[in-house]
Amino acid sequence: MTAAPANPSGAPSAPDSTPDTATPQAGDPVFSVRNLWKVFGPKAGRVPGDTSLTGLSAAEVRERTGCTAAVRDVSFDVARGEVFVVMGLSGSGKSTLVRCLTRLIEPTAGALHIDGEDVLAMDRARLRQLRRTRAAMVFQHFGLLPHRTVLDNIAYGLEIQGVGRAERRARAAGMIEKVGLAGLGERRPGQLSGGQQQRVGLARALAVDPEVLLFDEPFSALDPLIRRDMQEEVIRLHREEGRTMVFITHDLSEALRIGDRIALMRDGEIVQLGTPEEIVAAPADDYVRDFVRDVPREQVISVRRAMRPALAGEADTGVALAPGTVVAEAIEAVARSGEHVRVVEDGRTLGVVDHARLLAVVAGLDADPGAGTDAGTAPDPGGSHTAGGEVAAV
Amino acid sequence: MTTATPAPSSPAPEPGKPDKTAEPGKAASTASGSGPDREGPPGRPGALRRLTARTPGRPPARRLLVLALLALVAIPLAASVWGSGSWPDALTYDVRSPLDELDAWLVDNRESHWLFLYFLLHISNNAVSAVDGVLALLQGLGWTGVTAGAAALAWFAGGADLGRRALRTAATALGAFAVIGLLDLWAPAMETLALMAVAVAAAALIGAALGLAAGLSDRCERLLRPVFDTMQVMPAFAYLLPFVLLFGIGTPSALIATVIYAAPPMARLTSLGLRGADPAALEASASLGANAWQRLLTARLPLARRQMLLGLNQTIMMCLSMVVLASVIGAGGLGDEVFTALSRVDVGQALGPGIAIVLIAIWLDRTTAAAGARLDDTSAPASRGRAWSVRAAAAAFVAAASAAGSAALGRQWPEQWTVDLSAPVNTAVDWITDNLGSGIPLIGGTVTWSENFARWVLNPLRDGLQGAPWWLLLLAAAALALLTGTWRTATTAVAALAAIGAMGLWPTSLNTLSQVLAALVVTLLPGVAIGVLAARVPWVDRAIRPVLDVMQTMPQFIYLIPVVALFNVGRTAAIIAAVVYALPAVIRITAQGVRETDPGALEAARSMGASTGQQLRHVQLPLARPALLLAVNQGVVLVLAIVVIGGLVGGGALGYDVVYGLQKSELGIGLTAGAAIVCLGVLLDRVTQPAATRDRR
Repeated sequence: MTAAPANPSGAPSAPDSTPDTATPQAGDPVFSVRNLWKVFGPKAGRVPGDTSLTGLSAAEVRERTGCTAAVRDVSFDVARGEVFVVMGLSGSGKSTLVRCLTRLIEPTAGALHIDGEDVLAMDRARLRQLRRTRAAMVFQHFGLLPHRTVLDNIAYGLEIQGVGRAERRARAAGMIEKVGLAGLGERRPGQLSGGQQQRVGLARALAVDPEVLLFDEPFSALDPLIRRDMQEEVIRLHREEGRTMVFITHDLSEALRIGDRIALMRDGEIVQLGTPEEIVAAPADDYVRDFVRDVPREQVISVRRAMRPALAGEADTGVALAPGTVVAEAIEAVARSGEHVRVVEDGRTLGVVDHARLLAVVAGLDADPGAGTDAGTAPDPGGSHTAGGEVAAV
Repeated sequence: MTTATPAPSSPAPEPGKPDKTAEPGKAASTASGSGPDREGPPGRPGALRRLTARTPGRPPARRLLVLALLALVAIPLAASVWGSGSWPDALTYDVRSPLDELDAWLVDNRESHWLFLYFLLHISNNAVSAVDGVLALLQGLGWTGVTAGAAALAWFAGGADLGRRALRTAATALGAFAVIGLLDLWAPAMETLALMAVAVAAAALIGAALGLAAGLSDRCERLLRPVFDTMQVMPAFAYLLPFVLLFGIGTPSALIATVIYAAPPMARLTSLGLRGADPAALEASASLGANAWQRLLTARLPLARRQMLLGLNQTIMMCLSMVVLASVIGAGGLGDEVFTALSRVDVGQALGPGIAIVLIAIWLDRTTAAAGARLDDTSAPASRGRAWSVRAAAAAFVAAASAAGSAALGRQWPEQWTVDLSAPVNTAVDWITDNLGSGIPLIGGTVTWSENFARWVLNPLRDGLQGAPWWLLLLAAAALALLTGTWRTATTAVAALAAIGAMGLWPTSLNTLSQVLAALVVTLLPGVAIGVLAARVPWVDRAIRPVLDVMQTMPQFIYLIPVVALFNVGRTAAIIAAVVYALPAVIRITAQGVRETDPGALEAARSMGASTGQQLRHVQLPLARPALLLAVNQGVVLVLAIVVIGGLVGGGALGYDVVYGLQKSELGIGLTAGAAIVCLGVLLDRVTQPAATRDRR
C-alpha cells in the first residue's frame, strides 16, 4: 500500500490522468488500469501494437488475424471504497476484463496496478498472495465444492492460506451469520437454493477479508426476486464495510442500483464511463442511448441536473431538497406542495425545479436541448464520486 | 466383460453418459467454432482451425466418388498382376516361422538372458509371490474370516451404518460367499480372489497414475488416448498370447495380461473426471490463490471422485473377466474349472463355477456401486472419531470371526455343507437335448435351429466372403469406412484387412468375420427394437433395467455355459453367446440415444399431431443417429470378443487357432491368429466408427 501514484508510463492517450488528483479524500485508486488488451488467438501479442489493426472493429480483426480481441485498450481507475460496475452485453469482454485484474486470464498488453504495485510484474508467489488476501472473487456459477459442507466451503480460502482448522472454521462460522445462512453450516451446497449458494460464494470471498471484492455476474443465474435480495445484501455490506467492489453485470438496472460508477463495454471497449446519472442523462453515443432508453429516468436523475436558475423571488419559497435527491422524490414534493421546490446545498439555493422541468426529465426532453448546459455541470456530480464525465470515446 | 463391456468407446450404461454428452458437445463446439470462419470468403487461409477442420462439409458421396476413381485405376492393375479370388500368395509373408524361432529362443534363454535375469524374471517372481501372499492371507483367515471380511467391506461401502443400503450390500456379500461355499468351490474361488486382488490393485494404481497424467497434461492425453482407444477394441483373448511368449504359461502371464487389459478404464475415467471438473469451482480455487498442488488435492481430485470410482468399478469387472478367461493360460481358480468342464462339454461341472463367478461379480459390483451411491448422498458425514471406532470394530469383528471360525469349524469350508450341482444339471441338460433339441413339431428344436442357422446363414455367408475377390473386400472396407469416417479411418481399415491377408490367415479370418457379421445382425435387430421400446415405454424400461444390470456384470466366459447346454457346441453356440453378451450394451445405448433426443423437437412434432411412428421416423431416430452408430460400433466390438472365445466351444476359425496354439505350444500359430484378431477388431471398429468418436482422433 505504497502511496506512489501509479502513473504508468506510456499512457499519454489515457483520457484521465486527472482522477488521481481529483479525489483527494479517497486516496489513490485501488486498481489502476491503462490501455489493457486481451487478445485470444494465434500470435495474439502482435495485435495491440499493430496500429493498422487497433483501429479496426472486432469482426475485422478476427477476419484479418484469426484473433479475437476480448478487451481492447481499456483504461480506468477503481477508487477506494467505491462500487465500480462494468456492464455490457454477453461477449463484450467484461468477464475477461475482471479476470485480467488478478491475472486469472493473462492480459496481452497494457499496464495494471493494484495500490500502485505492478500486477503484471508479480511473480507467481506474489500473485498468489494477491489472490489469497487482496482480491477475492464471486462467480456467476458459484464455483462451490460439492463434496464439502457449507462451512468448509466458506473456510476454503483460509485453508488455502494455511490457516489452521479450528481457526478457519471459527472465522467461517462468523461469515455464515453475516450472509444470513445461520444454521446451514453443515449442509452441502447441493442442498441449498441458488440464492443461498451464492451467499456461500459471497461468504467465501468475504472470509479472507480481501481489500477488493470482484463480482462476476454473481446474480445472473438467480430468480428476479432472489436477485433483488442479493443486491440489497451487497448494498448493505458495502454500506457497513465500505469495501471496494468491482461488479460485472449485464443487467442495466442492477448496474444503476448498486454502482457508484459504471463502465459500459461494447466489443471489448469502454464506450462510456460515468455515474449512473451521467450515463442515463448524457449517453455518449447512440449505442448507450439505446441501452438506457427504458430506464425510469426520474429514479436516476437528480434535481441538480434537472434544476434551472431561480427567478426573482423563487429562491425564497418552496420545499428545500438536497442536490442529490432524485427527481422521483421531487415530483412527490412538487405534487404535495403545488409549487416548485428549491435545490439547496449548504444553505445556499442552487436553483429551482418546477412542473415543467420535472416533466421534461420524465419525458426525456432534458437531455438533447440541455446537452450544452449539462456538460457544463457534469464535471462535478456527486461528492462521493471520483471523476465524472470521463468518456472513453470510441 | 461386464459393466466394463460397453466401456470400450463410451463407458457403459451410466458411464456412457458423460462420455457421450462430452462428444456431441465437442462436435458442436468445433462446428460452431468453424462458423465464423465460414463467413469469410472461402479458400482464404483464415485460422488454424481450417487446417484442423477435417472434411466435415464434404459429403460422403464425393469421397466415395474419389474412391471409385482410385479403384478404377488400381484394381484392374492389381487383379492382372496378382489375380482375383482369394488373397494372392505373392502378397503372403511367412510370419509364423520367425515367431516360432523367437519362441524357441525365449524358451532356451528364459533362465539365462540378462533381460530376464534383471528385469522380466523380477516381474514374474514378484507377481507370483504377491498372489501367493494374498492367497496365504485368505487361507489364513479361513472361510469365516473371509466371509466376514467381504461382508464388512460391503457394509463399509454401503455407508457403515444400520441403513438399508449398508445392510443390503453386506447381505449380498454374505449370500454370495455362502453359496460359493455350498457349491464346494471355496478353494478355487480363493485362488481367483487372490489373483483378482493383486490385479485390481496394480491395475487401479497404474490406471490412476496414467489417468492423472492424461488429465493434467494435454500432451499425455494426446499420446495415451489413441492407445486406450485401440486397446478397447481388442478382444480380451488377444491379450493373452504375447505374455505367454514372454513369461510362459502360468500366473505371471495371466496377472500381467489382466493388469494391462483392465487398467485403461481407470485411466480413462480418471482423466475424464479431472478434465470434466466444474470449471467454476476450479476457477474459484485459483482465484483464492491456490497453488497447483492445492488445487489438485482440494478441488480437482475430490471433484473427480465419482468418475474415478466408476473407473475402479469397471477395472474390477474387467479384471474378473480377464482372470477367468486367463484360465486358458494357466491362471487356475474358478475359470479353470469352467474351462476344463467346457472342453469336456460337461455343462453340469461348468455351471457351479460359473455361478460362483457371477456371484463374485455381483458382490464386487454392488459394493463399488454402493460406494458410488454414497458419494451422491448429501447427508453429513460421520465424524472422524466415530469413523475410526467403526473401522476398529469391523476389524475386530473380522478377526474374531476368523479365529472363532477356524477354531470351531476349520479353515476349509466344511465338507458336509456342500451340494453337488453337476448331476442334476447334467440330467436337465440331457433332458433338454432329448426334448428340446430336435423333433418338436413345427418349430424344430434348439439343435435343429442351430444346424439350420449354420447351414443356411453362416455357410453361405462364409463361402460368399471367402469366394469374393480379395480386392473387392478391400474396396468394400474402404467404402464403408468412408461412409461414416474419413480417409484416415479408411486407410487404417484397409491396412488392417491387408495385414490379415499378408499373414496368410485370409480364409480363417473371413470365417470369423462371417460369424461376427451374422451375430451382429442378430444382435442389432432385437437390440435396437428393444432399445426404442424401452425409451418410449417406461414400464419396459423398468422391467429390463435390472436384467441388463446383471447381464452387464457377468464375465464374457460365463455366457458360453448356458448356450452350450441349449445349442450344443459349434459356431451357432458361440454366436448366440455373442448376441446375448452384446445385447445389453446395444439396448442401453439405443434407449439412451432415443430418450435424449431434443425434447423440444419431439414436442413440436407431437403438437403438430405426429403419430407414434411419425415421431420415431421423423424425429427420434434421425436425431438419435449418433447413438445408433455407436450402438453398432459397440455391438461389433463386443460380438467379436465373444466369437473369438467361441473357439473354446467349437467356434473354430481364429479363436480355435489361439487355443490350439496355446495347448500345443505352437505359439507361432497362436500369435498370428491373435494378431489377426486384433486386425479384425481394428477393421470392424474403423468401419463402424460413429462420427462423434471420430472427432477425437
